[in-house]
Amino acid sequence: MSVWVYGEQKSDLKIEGAIARRIAEDLYEVFIGPQHPGSGHMRIIIRVDGDIIVDADPDMGYVHRTMEKLSEGREWIKNIPLFERMAIHDACNVTVSYVIALERILGIEPPPRARYLRTLLCEINRIAAHLYGFGIFGVFMGHSTMYMWSFADREVMVELAEKLTGARLTHSYPIPGGARRDLPQDFPDQARKAVRYFRRRLEEYRKIFLDNPVMRSRMEGVGVIPKKVAAELGVVGPVARASGIKYDARLAEPYDAYDEVEFEVPVFEEGDALARAWVKFEEIKQSLRIIEQAVDWLEKHQREAPMHPKFWERSPPLWKKVFEAEGRVKLLPLMANLKLPPGKAMARSETARGEIVYYVESDGKTTPYRVRIVSPSARNAIVFKYIVPGYRVMDLPTIYGSIDYFPPEADR
Amino acid sequence: MTARPVVKRLVKRKGLFAGFKGNVDAITLGLKYLVDPKRFTLIYPNEYIKLDPGYRGFIVLHKEKCINCSSCARICPAAAMRMIKRQEQDPKTGKVKMKLWPVINYQRCIFCGYCVDVCPTEALYTVPYHDIVYENMAEMDWGLETFTRPPEHPVEKEGGIPVKYIVDEERGLVKVKAEGEEGD
Repeated sequence: MSVWVYGEQKSDLKIEGAIARRIAEDLYEVFIGPQHPGSGHMRIIIRVDGDIIVDADPDMGYVHRTMEKLSEGREWIKNIPLFERMAIHDACNVTVSYVIALERILGIEPPPRARYLRTLLCEINRIAAHLYGFGIFGVFMGHSTMYMWSFADREVMVELAEKLTGARLTHSYPIPGGARRDLPQDFPDQARKAVRYFRRRLEEYRKIFLDNPVMRSRMEGVGVIPKKVAAELGVVGPVARASGIKYDARLAEPYDAYDEVEFEVPVFEEGDALARAWVKFEEIKQSLRIIEQAVDWLEKHQREAPMHPKFWERSPPLWKKVFEAEGRVKLLPLMANLKLPPGKAMARSETARGEIVYYVESDGKTTPYRVRIVSPSARNAIVFKYIVPGYRVMDLPTIYGSIDYFPPEADR
Repeated sequence: MTARPVVKRLVKRKGLFAGFKGNVDAITLGLKYLVDPKRFTLIYPNEYIKLDPGYRGFIVLHKEKCINCSSCARICPAAAMRMIKRQEQDPKTGKVKMKLWPVINYQRCIFCGYCVDVCPTEALYTVPYHDIVYENMAEMDWGLETFTRPPEHPVEKEGGIPVKYIVDEERGLVKVKAEGEEGD
């Protein structure tokens, strides 16, 4: 048994580049990550017997940024751009529940138009994040076509989000009391075109990736999480829904306009990597439906400021003039030093990877007393520990990609 | 409540030739895009994206509109905006006064646009581009003089072709010339 020294990287396996050491007879410890392309910003320490993983230990925390503590030193609305950095390609979904928690403490409800605008951006983000997940999943398994396609098609959704909010990824769109911009004039037309394009395009995704026998053979029966185990581990989002758990935060506790739009929550019962890929695939279809409904609603209803009257009625005439001309909702200077009444609130929303929960406590100051975030990736990371053992080393990227683990969100 | 969970099942494939159709479908589709690829690469220094006017790019100050209220510096989540003291002659009375003016540090700016939205007199505005390169970090900390002029768009200045990406029903994103005619 040799000693592994940092810098010398003595490998018992005599494989160049692989850091492995023998820990017992026929048992090797292999470090995957944190710079390994197949692991993201995390390290998975696996112990292998031949090709079979007997033990896996996810070593998280490489991108930990103390967001919960940082937020205690910032004013309420300054935390919105901060929390976006957890999952920048899913920015609206990640921050919307924080904003809802603030609204609950303030005791205000955003106007219907703001709720629909947020829902619209949430669903645009969800599709973009699922396509991002598909791309990473594809390239993990060596299917670089899927990577190129989904990253190119994700650009359609990013463009739509840019038209709506003015930024490609870090939208900072929801704000306590409403949303920051209204629809641009040419948005409904572009959104409908994008929806029709995606409906056709998804059929091609199915052919080249999900129903491709080569990919199917790598996904089918890999990383199976039975329904009971999924409930015990507490996984959320597409991972839980692929194991037959009918849970979705949009369903359990409808926020924004989700109780008014019509959609399905796809649930599969197989629990393997293929089922998880199919859940995401079916969810994209449902998100397209929601986008259509939201755009229709927004076009049909009169254009008015998507801001709560508490903040909008007191605002000067210039505010209304800017909104008429540019569709931009200006913020009152009091927003910077907004004081929330003492209180606690909890809010959850369904991000692309699952449910995110914010617990916000205010002691009447301009900064939070405590913000607790439970992110979906942090809850799904447990899969590495309990599901990976028993599968082969080549199955690890498949399981990793299928649970769509995103380290910056888990470490936060 | 109009949302509902729907249990779906994966289509199981069995038999010797089960994968045959899937393979043929995938290869046919791959060949289709080999012949007619979908590309929208931006040839960057020769072309640039002409973004919508609502895009949150670099922030510039209208000095004559500014009322020195410090709202922008207070709301900045990244502490990129700060106020500096500057002696100014009042144009009406001719008196010399100490005034606070906002300046921005682009090393810190995250382009959230809060400052533009909070400004009570619309003294701040965004330009729809941000592809500006600096040779050193100190240049990114703008002084008041730089902050009052919109920055030069380097690609536009060197004669780059403005292009736009629009959503197309058939091909996803399509690159067109910003004037409206079809691009390559």
